[in-house]
Amino acid sequence: MEQTLFYILAGVAVIGTILAITEKHPVHAILYLVTSLFSIAVIFYLLMAPLVAAFEVILYAGAIMVLFLFVIMMLDLGHPEKGVSPHWREWLPALALVGVSAACLAIVIVARHGSTASPAAASLPIREVARHLFQDHGLAVELISLQLLFALVGALYLGRQK
Amino acid sequence: MTKADMMALMPLIILAGGSVLVLLAGAVRPGGYLYGLAITVVVSALAWTIAVPATVVMPGLAITPFARFFAVFLDSAGLVALLMATGYNKRRGIVGEEYPATLLFALAGMGAACAASDLLMLFLGLEAFTFAFYLLVAIERDSVRGGEAGLKYLLNGTLSAAVLAMGIALVYCSRGTLRLSELARQPASLEPLFLAGVCLILVGLAFKLSLVPAHLWTPDVYQGAPAPVTALLSTASKGASVAAVLLILPLMAGWRGGHDILWCLSLATMVCGNLAALVQTSIKRLLAWSSVAQMGYVALAFVALPAGGGRAAIFYVVAYAAAGLASFGAVSILSDGSDRDAIEQYRGLGYRNPLAGAVLAVALFSLAGIPPAAGFMAKFAVFSAALRAGEIALAMVGVLTALVAVFFYLRVVVALYMRPVDGAEAAARRLTGSEALALAIPTLVTVVMGVYPSPLLDLLARIMG
Repeated sequence: MEQTLFYILAGVAVIGTILAITEKHPVHAILYLVTSLFSIAVIFYLLMAPLVAAFEVILYAGAIMVLFLFVIMMLDLGHPEKGVSPHWREWLPALALVGVSAACLAIVIVARHGSTASPAAASLPIREVARHLFQDHGLAVELISLQLLFALVGALYLGRQK
Repeated sequence: MTKADMMALMPLIILAGGSVLVLLAGAVRPGGYLYGLAITVVVSALAWTIAVPATVVMPGLAITPFARFFAVFLDSAGLVALLMATGYNKRRGIVGEEYPATLLFALAGMGAACAASDLLMLFLGLEAFTFAFYLLVAIERDSVRGGEAGLKYLLNGTLSAAVLAMGIALVYCSRGTLRLSELARQPASLEPLFLAGVCLILVGLAFKLSLVPAHLWTPDVYQGAPAPVTALLSTASKGASVAAVLLILPLMAGWRGGHDILWCLSLATMVCGNLAALVQTSIKRLLAWSSVAQMGYVALAFVALPAGGGRAAIFYVVAYAAAGLASFGAVSILSDGSDRDAIEQYRGLGYRNPLAGAVLAVALFSLAGIPPAAGFMAKFAVFSAALRAGEIALAMVGVLTALVAVFFYLRVVVALYMRPVDGAEAAARRLTGSEALALAIPTLVTVVMGVYPSPLLDLLARIMG
């Protein structure tokens, strides 16, 4: 069953991403990207990685996408459709995609907690994740943090008004 | 992390810490002294790498003689680029701490890429310095071309990063490990998934080396970026990418298809690069296409890997880097103030600015492979490795394209020493100390490597042995 769910979720992720790329309206594109990221988060949950799933939702679908929306709103790109609330039909694809992901998540949770049999693979505790991350890949974390610092420096430098 | 690990990692720590230090110092008190600070940081990292011979393996990084050699090479290139940029940036109004800090970060990323012992660190190192170059290429905010070049490099670079990441994911998917030493142990038959992954990694690296057909960004980016940035982009980033390819190649050592892919890449790059360089009228674009062509010879050395090609590839890229730094450095001085870009405008500049003209001439001789410059020894090493490996057809193509290349390199030298059209021009300004040093170091390396190459070749034989 889990395999079927995986393929459904993977399909949702791919469709969501394709719609995000082809969509002309940036806000709509971001919404599709959120649906895609949400289905990927459910895939991580399916793979016994609830922590990564939570990060995916909180950081990607949550924080980063809100930041995107914020920047788009701030730039105020001047759309003719601004002020017109979208028709319910425009909501339909995104809602359908999220609905599928949410349904899959519900099925997984019910299946896991409903059955008394212990699952074949246990999810890694946070302590173990942290140990792997900072002991085995500590240098990589340092390098990434430096890279993020310079992403900030670059954005500030190039964005500064003369 | 033990004390020995820290000692071995110190050059990387110095560079990374130095970049943050320069950022902080620039925030407190901006000024030209930041370049001096950055130069001090690079020199101390360089001195530490040479003075402290350490071999340490830790998760992600392995400080081996191979990594240390590349660290010395890349830090020297960074030093020359910084010396070059000191005066150039002041003249062009590129102020602020961003330039030296980002350059230091790029050097740290390159060092990490060359010392990588797993694919994750390799990817992060490669992306770290590519990322730094996104900013450096577009550092001249007033120039239209700079912004365009930055955007082109960014779009191409992110695509190649995606391909590289996908390849690494497929490799991990098929083997369950990212460690290069474990991946190099070949099972009886190679899985298709693993091969697909390695091929994607190779495509990603082909972009960084600008091997044809992943070279399209090269001329525009080299032309649009400030000359000292182009000097570093065309030498150090190529050097680090060569190291990355040499780390990846053992993964497909026993696979015939890998040889065929490299063979095609090498052929296409040598032919396209040299032919396209023939018709260029802008000197920066000519040097860009020449750098594409030069990477074709490095790819030829990769094809001949079993017959000592690794040694030839490193020797070639060091010789190319010396000539590349010297040529872009000379161009940045000769094009001084007015944006001289067409080859025609270089008429007679060899008389007006004798030192820079002579340096450019020597660098072009080296790129063309004319003895006694280093380029000749490098081409000789590559072709002899190719012949030992039995790649006679490819070596023949290499020799023929190198002959074609002599024409367009000499065209620039001839223009340099022709009488200027408008007779007497105002005498050139005197070179500053840092500019003279930035020209002298790579030129000396070019000449010494060409006349007396055996110490370096012996060293490389020990490293690759």
